[in-house]
Amino acid sequence: MIELLVTLALLTLIKSTPIIYAALGGVMSERSGVINIGLEGMMAAGAFTAVVVSFATHNPIAGALAGVAAGACFGYLLAFAATRFKVDQIVAGTGINLICAGGAAYGLVVLFNQPGASPQVASLGSGYWVLIVGAFAIAIALQWILYRTPWGLRIRATGENPSAVVSAGLNPLALRMNAVVISGALAGLGGAFLSIGELNLYSDGMTAGRGFIALAAVIFGRWNPLGATAACVVFGFFEALQYVLQGQVAWLPANALQALPYIAALVALAGVTGRVRAPAADGVPF
Amino acid sequence: MKRLTRFLTGPLGAVLLIVVLMSLAMVVAGVSPLDGFSALITGALGGRNEIGETLVATTALLFPALGICLAFRAGLFNIGAEGQLLIGALCAGALGAAFTIPGPLGIVLLLLAGALGGGFWGAIAGWMKARFDANEIIATLMLNFVAAYFALELVSGPLKGPLAAGAETAWLDPKYWLPTLLPGTRLSIALLLALALAIFLQWVLTRTVFGYDLRASGEAPEAARRSGINIARLTWLALTLSGAIAGLGGATIVLGELHRFNTQLSPGYGFTAIAVALVGDLQPLWICLAAFGFGILESGGLAMQASAQVPKDAIHVIEGLIIFVLAARRYVATRVEGGPV
Repeated sequence: MIELLVTLALLTLIKSTPIIYAALGGVMSERSGVINIGLEGMMAAGAFTAVVVSFATHNPIAGALAGVAAGACFGYLLAFAATRFKVDQIVAGTGINLICAGGAAYGLVVLFNQPGASPQVASLGSGYWVLIVGAFAIAIALQWILYRTPWGLRIRATGENPSAVVSAGLNPLALRMNAVVISGALAGLGGAFLSIGELNLYSDGMTAGRGFIALAAVIFGRWNPLGATAACVVFGFFEALQYVLQGQVAWLPANALQALPYIAALVALAGVTGRVRAPAADGVPF
Repeated sequence: MKRLTRFLTGPLGAVLLIVVLMSLAMVVAGVSPLDGFSALITGALGGRNEIGETLVATTALLFPALGICLAFRAGLFNIGAEGQLLIGALCAGALGAAFTIPGPLGIVLLLLAGALGGGFWGAIAGWMKARFDANEIIATLMLNFVAAYFALELVSGPLKGPLAAGAETAWLDPKYWLPTLLPGTRLSIALLLALALAIFLQWVLTRTVFGYDLRASGEAPEAARRSGINIARLTWLALTLSGAIAGLGGATIVLGELHRFNTQLSPGYGFTAIAVALVGDLQPLWICLAAFGFGILESGGLAMQASAQVPKDAIHVIEGLIIFVLAARRYVATRVEGGPV
């Protein structure tokens, strides 16, 4: 029993980590006023790029950094569209998801000549504990940055009232650019953790909606980094629980159990609303 | 200049963009664009069977795209057409395999069951939005995953056909099969149903009070609320109807094309349909044309993959880019032509 609880606790930490990175990205982006539906795609981009670079260089650290860069690139794409072209952010994010998922699938065939999954590459091995601890460290750091530094105040102000930011002599569009690029970089790191941290390959659909669960965590966590992190641990727990139950309790419906984290996110979404408030200019182009 | 922008930012520009991007995807895959395109076009329109398959894909995309159109026009981002379609297909497939009803009545009832199933799945998100103000984007997305696992659980266990190898229900009795439209192909009269639905939806959106309320709450929610429109009621109604249309589409895939439910029946139709609805400018009649265009890409893409070795997934990248460019298009057009941004 004790062993089982320890397994559950460790698995919860592992399963929460990629969602935490994505959710922290979501908090950054939404605090600046840009809804990032593309988190899912940015995770996939990070996961796939990490594998490609790790395959080419045999260096998983380079792979993880490349994953961050890939996420940041798609963050830049969304940021550019959202600030310069004032596109509907939901539509642009949906586009990014299609581009990244399709691009990774296309890349698997073109680069590795094998559809479905990449070959096995050098993984971070036990180094992935650094990323697990790092997720919580970055959450604390972001909480401090957003609430205790002038830059954090500016980001939050941009999400609440961009016109006020202009009257303070600052450029809200540039602030949004920065926030969304950081958002993509964090989601990319979350994706890299999935592919070369937890595993050692990329397979189609491996992000499995984690970017969307992260968005639910952002709301559940009331748009602040520590709250979102706590929400991710809850969702990670349900994902871990599903694995543990599958091995232990034979009569439970195995496939239906996999829906557990998504149902948890749905319930959380319905449960908290009304008592939380999004940044006032969240999703509104400026 | 104005003419040029209108041309480039209009549908022709979209086609041009598709051609350029597809060529790029082919070159990267090491195939000459000429070979790639000839494989794509022959694969999509080269003969009776190919045209049939293209129209099958058109139909499968048209239903969810119309559902998405209805929700988007009401200002509700229904990204859950995939799950709604799957649940609709599951309802039709499971009930069709389980009950014996006289043929024509059975077909109507099974299609209705599909619409009800998809409608129910949309209604969950609608209820969450109306009752708890829960974000419908995330709710519909989460419901996609719940639907997929729910369906997989049912058809790998209690609903699995006695002779089925994978996660599938039993075959439907041929009396439930939708009549074939183009003899010798898999194209059923579902296409006509989808086209009729598009015309009906166009009429509802532009000529009825309900359609006006729907558009008003999408374009100016505050004004709509102050003029006495019940936004909460409209919200769940729009998401329910949107889901019902997608679910009906799922049922037609089962009754017209596969003749049984299979968890793999949709290669992401519900997501591609978002691109279809947007390319169709959220106008039902234009969406029909857009669905045909994407139908060509879907069925020709498979042929292109088989004969020219260009991965079909390139098409999803292009769809994503099209969504992106179209989203930016209004801004560019207004910028060049002047007027309010």
